[in-house]
Amino acid sequence: MLTLILVIFLGGAILTWLGRKINPLLGDLLFLVSVILPATMFVMNIKVGDTIAQHTLLGIDLVWGLSPLAHLFSLVVVGLGVMLSIYSISYMRGKEKVGMYYFSFILSIMAMLGILVSRDWISFFIFWEIMTWSSYLMVILNGKKVQSIGIKYFVFSALGAYSMLMALVIINSQLGSFMLSDTFNNFQHLSPANQILIPVLLLVAFGVKSAVMPLHIWAPDAYSNSPMGYTAVFSGALSKMGVYGLVLVIISMTTQLPAGSLIRIIVAWLGGFTAAAATLWAITQDDGKKLLAWSSIGQLGYIVTGVAIGTPLAMLAAMFLVVVHALFKGSLFMAVGAIEKQTGTTDFKEVNGLIRKMPVTFISSLLSIIALAGIPPLAGFVSKWMLYEALIQNHNYLLVVLLFFASTAAFLYAYKFLHGYFLGQEEPEWAHVKEAPMSMTIPMLLLALTTFVLGTWPQLLFNSIDSAMQYLGYDATNGKLWTDSVLFSQWGDKVALQPVLYAIIAVFLFFAIFLYFKGRKATRYVTTKDISTSGEIPKEWENLTFKVNFMQPFERAIEPFLKRQIEKYYLGFGKGMEALFDFTRRIYTGNGQTYAIYAIVFLALLLIFRVSLFG
Amino acid sequence: MEHILIKILGAIATFILAFIVGMTYGGVVRKITARVHNRLGPPFYQNFIDALKLFSKKTAIHHGVMHFLGPAFLMVSSVVSLMFVPVLIPGGDSWYNSWFSNMIYDGDLIFLIYIMVFGSLGMALGAGQTGNPNSSIGITRGLSQMVGYEIPWVLALVSLMLMYKTTSIVDFINVQQETGTWLMFANPFAFIAGLFALMGMFHYSPFDIIGAPAELASGPVSENGGKFLFTMMSSGSVFSFVKLTLFVDIFMGGASNLVVLVIKTFTLYMIPVLYGIVSHRYRTEQAVTFFWKWPLFFGLLAVLYAVL
Repeated sequence: MLTLILVIFLGGAILTWLGRKINPLLGDLLFLVSVILPATMFVMNIKVGDTIAQHTLLGIDLVWGLSPLAHLFSLVVVGLGVMLSIYSISYMRGKEKVGMYYFSFILSIMAMLGILVSRDWISFFIFWEIMTWSSYLMVILNGKKVQSIGIKYFVFSALGAYSMLMALVIINSQLGSFMLSDTFNNFQHLSPANQILIPVLLLVAFGVKSAVMPLHIWAPDAYSNSPMGYTAVFSGALSKMGVYGLVLVIISMTTQLPAGSLIRIIVAWLGGFTAAAATLWAITQDDGKKLLAWSSIGQLGYIVTGVAIGTPLAMLAAMFLVVVHALFKGSLFMAVGAIEKQTGTTDFKEVNGLIRKMPVTFISSLLSIIALAGIPPLAGFVSKWMLYEALIQNHNYLLVVLLFFASTAAFLYAYKFLHGYFLGQEEPEWAHVKEAPMSMTIPMLLLALTTFVLGTWPQLLFNSIDSAMQYLGYDATNGKLWTDSVLFSQWGDKVALQPVLYAIIAVFLFFAIFLYFKGRKATRYVTTKDISTSGEIPKEWENLTFKVNFMQPFERAIEPFLKRQIEKYYLGFGKGMEALFDFTRRIYTGNGQTYAIYAIVFLALLLIFRVSLFG
Repeated sequence: MEHILIKILGAIATFILAFIVGMTYGGVVRKITARVHNRLGPPFYQNFIDALKLFSKKTAIHHGVMHFLGPAFLMVSSVVSLMFVPVLIPGGDSWYNSWFSNMIYDGDLIFLIYIMVFGSLGMALGAGQTGNPNSSIGITRGLSQMVGYEIPWVLALVSLMLMYKTTSIVDFINVQQETGTWLMFANPFAFIAGLFALMGMFHYSPFDIIGAPAELASGPVSENGGKFLFTMMSSGSVFSFVKLTLFVDIFMGGASNLVVLVIKTFTLYMIPVLYGIVSHRYRTEQAVTFFWKWPLFFGLLAVLYAVL
């Protein structure tokens, strides 16, 4: 069954590509069918178990099955995949290379599910490479800056792939088996050097995909350069494959090591720095795509920190954030895509005041932004609360302050995003803008509403996370860290989410009615030009848009930090390598005469030193 | 059913208390500021007159739905955070003690930190829709400053959480009841760092660039009049009460009855007020980096003190 599902994906990808050549409508239809049909089959038929399918390829066993942990991640992949496929039809209408987009989209969904069902390293690696290639095609799809962005993504992906390959070769030569379970169970039998080397190599491989500093520099450009319909998958699901790998390495391998705690604390701090630095960079961006790309890197930093700390509460928080981040960031990227579709630009400095023109997009963005900022009663708060409690109780007090700083600074870009697109002056230039079509607004609203529901009833998700954690060897957390919609911690602190929600709704409704229903009828709507700035009434032609240097005071405060960019070091390294290659090229000139001289010189040297060399 | 009804009545009583105390403090501060400036100043009940006037005014224009919802968001933040802060010591012996036991067992400090910023976001949205650039400028300044003071504030709280292995405000009060020592003496560095953060939270000089009345026409609240301004004013008063009570609960042993509460909060309130009257104003980046110098140092010292 599993093989059939993957084959349908693969065949569907090719058929869609061909169908698109014949008739655009046929292509759209085939695209929807070849994502939704196998995705539904996957959810309905594939149950958690040990081995579901087995094949032999060139004498190597490929074993597929679905573990509870993979099941949790597959929810993200399938859910986002289906939502985004519906969204993509409208999003890609009228654009170029649609067939290529559909092809790569289906292939990445297949590859991600393939990674999750792999029980051996060979199929894991094959699917990993398919995922990298299909996402590479997406990054360069619009044909802009292929040189700089595409190559950057490719170099880092290659670095990750080679490290993984090297780790796999070591594993096979030492243990004689490619099975994941064998690697984890026999980890103790490896030599001490390999016990460090293998996790580190794998951490590099997975760290590239989950954009952990200092392996993150491909991510902002790659995220913002791919089509928005795909970036939601890229940031929401594809980067989570890196997290999936990190969970396997950190929980199943490093916990068996005496030096494991050191590796984990290093990874946790890397995650913390990623969160803080990426947040500061997000604040300085003037393009919604770039802002969200940096924000994704930051959010992945929280997840990495949670996984690396690895206490039950931290793990619960990280796994919860994996799903919730996919939901709200998916919704936000969709909103940016809708704005791009309707206005033709994503630059804050160009477009503004869309709140009355695109209300549904605004509401879903607002909900997602509240979730992103971690404000109750939305789901972002649940994971933030658990993560902070876990860090404080694990005595990572400086790390918790770093993360607190990151999440407070996140309010700045959260507001910049909302203000940039939806608020501020309404210019006549954008008066013609209409709300995006239903097939784009409904998926984003659905994702945003899911974060709302999970914010008060997180137990809907905790059950899946709980079984995934038990698979990894944790105790059951139900009743210890949460019951129904109450969160606990070992210290006995708790947050009861339902009373919070009811209190918020009650107060909000009271004052909304107080202000709105009594005042609304008596007042008249005036445009954003009809305001009083410092007592002066501005004229029609005066431009009062405030967008340029929006966060300038804050940017001034963090200026010393912004000067330090890791990318500069990489570029310096690249320049050094280029100089080295240049030097090599002077020796290997490709000219026959030069080589002839080398040969003669070599022979002459041999003749001169023959006595001393050969006696 | 009866239980819920009593809870709601208690919540209303708490709200009225916070409103009255907050408004009176606001008036008294105006009077004190005036006397320091060698002016006569308005009477201490001037804020009530203003509120009544604003409340009875009709609103003529609006800028859209978010303009209405912004103040409501603001109110959610102040009222809901009020519900989670113990006004009096739980289980105290004064006859009205049970009125104020709102929802103090349902949330903790980390929750409170997050619900307290809910309002600034809502306010920011409401002000953003008016299209007045001064509002948006005020908000970016306010949010930047918040990032500044959040670090010493969190450091102070984390050091206390480490010392007493809890994040619940009720537990902090109980610890002070049992040991008989206020936490401002148990960890003085945390208190100093927290005090700096409190000064940032109150937006008095030198951290008053957010409102900047002289050149920004009051920052975020411009374009709001009548009921909008009334809602914002009451929310501000309630919110000052929340911040002061929270601080008293954590560092100064809580209060067993209302008289003690008023004395403690008023004394505490005078620190940012009196310092503010005589000090000049910082630019935003100066304010932000100010919090990352001495307050940060004291915060780190507090954590170090808690660990050792």
